[in-house]
Amino acid sequence: MSAVLEIRDLHLRFRGHSGVSEVLHGVSLDIRAGERVALVGESGSGKSVTARIVLGLLQELPYAEVSGGLFLEGADLNRLSRRQWQGLRGTSISMIFQDPTSSLNPVFTIGAQFAEVLRRRDPGLPRGAADERAGALLRSVSIHDHARVLDAYPFQLSGGMNQRVVIAMALANHPSLLIADEPGTALDVTVQAQTLKLMHDLVERSGTAVLFISHNLGVVREFADRVFVIYRGRIVERGPTAAIFEAPGHAYTRALMAAVPRITGGGPPEPNDGETAFLDPMVVHEGGGA
Amino acid sequence: MRRTTVILLRNPLSMLGVVLVAAVVISAALADYIAPFPEHRGAVVDFVHFNQGPTARNVMGTDLVGRDLFSRILYAFRISLLLGVVVLAIATPIGTFVGLLAGYLGGRAEFALMRLTDVFLSIPPLVLAIAMMGVLEPTLLNAMLAVTAMWWPWYARLVYNITRSEREEGYVLAAEVIGASTLHVTFREILPNCLPAIITKMTLDMGFVIIIASSLSFLGLGVQPPTPDLGSMVAEGARYLPDSWWLTVFPGLAILVAVFGFNLIGDALREILGADQ
Repeated sequence: MSAVLEIRDLHLRFRGHSGVSEVLHGVSLDIRAGERVALVGESGSGKSVTARIVLGLLQELPYAEVSGGLFLEGADLNRLSRRQWQGLRGTSISMIFQDPTSSLNPVFTIGAQFAEVLRRRDPGLPRGAADERAGALLRSVSIHDHARVLDAYPFQLSGGMNQRVVIAMALANHPSLLIADEPGTALDVTVQAQTLKLMHDLVERSGTAVLFISHNLGVVREFADRVFVIYRGRIVERGPTAAIFEAPGHAYTRALMAAVPRITGGGPPEPNDGETAFLDPMVVHEGGGA
Repeated sequence: MRRTTVILLRNPLSMLGVVLVAAVVISAALADYIAPFPEHRGAVVDFVHFNQGPTARNVMGTDLVGRDLFSRILYAFRISLLLGVVVLAIATPIGTFVGLLAGYLGGRAEFALMRLTDVFLSIPPLVLAIAMMGVLEPTLLNAMLAVTAMWWPWYARLVYNITRSEREEGYVLAAEVIGASTLHVTFREILPNCLPAIITKMTLDMGFVIIIASSLSFLGLGVQPPTPDLGSMVAEGARYLPDSWWLTVFPGLAILVAVFGFNLIGDALREILGADQ
């Protein structure tokens, strides 16, 4: 199977007033069609910037220096013009964010925003037809009173409802890649679990590849086929989900798993950022087609 | 809509604002029918009735050449409202455009646009207008231009500040991520979120534009006689205070009514639109 997304030796540097700070030190990552890949790491490890580079958003900043290979379905993204790359967003690649309510514009109804999204693929789609398709998409995320939802403003709906709307929007144009940046972290745990289950089923049915960015190992274990663990801008471990969770090979992965709060008690361990073992070379788990 | 009506009705001051503004607008629109002496808007001389206090014939008295003050005030409202509407109709889009682009693009565009705005803001507004009018001919059109030149920077700064905070909102990033262009993000996503503030400021500014325009004509730099204008009427009468008090008091009250009315409505709008967010 061919890779939907392939990232090769990605480097990112930010030029600041006090010199250059290197954020990514050669990240390589691949996602095959229909596969759900999780990128796991602590805050500031480089998860979200990787996603933004794939979308071409960071490259537009004057103080960011990006180098490395980026391929979407075999096409070299670095060779695209800014306009072509912009054309991929919302059609071939779409994205879901942490807080669904704030990622919807408060002054437009859900229906109006849905129509905008659908017009990315079908410019000039009339509102009536857009509402019809939006209704069908909302049914697929288990929203059954879609007429009411389409007429509502984002602040009139619950967070979980908005999350499902955002998922439906993200999948509306049948993207080949969906980037989910800590989806639903702003929601409470039960709602988060429901919507993730829903998203899981949907991407499975539509065959959409997912880059799932998270620090929540419990969610990753449920959701992902393969896991990449990232620490300080380097991938420290990669492999099929089951293999990594059964036998975490890298010191950092083990520390990350030890940090998961357990119902049987015991507080979180002390943060030990100075651990030299965290800088060990990458551990690769073979199998699962990796 | 119902909420709007309730807020307006509950608050007696807002109601007063609505009544005052309605009175001003209606008298300006229907001046031809309400005014007892419509021909007095122009160059008419009536030496039988000149410089008379309020009487049954002339409820607000007559001016130095015998024209009915009440009729002239009605026509002066027209000029004031026209000036206010035209100035805001030009200044608001310019300021909004500058503010949106500066706030969203950041970097060099922000520096260039906002420093230009600062240059305009650093000159005291009336001084800028007087300087412009000194160079240009004092006509209604030039008065509008002068007031517009001093007014747009305030909108640029207002919209710039809102845009700066709105661009950090999730929906802006979400729009960028689905490939929205700069124009789409600024005008279709961010601008609608600025509208409540812009509309409120426009209503409040109607009053201030009327004051500034009257100040210009008071100094003889605005609308020229014989066209009736509240500012120039006050200026003309000021020389004959306190004996011919009606020459100053009634045009002055007319300015007060218009400005007060628009300010009260502006306050009510701020409450109505602000609470929605």
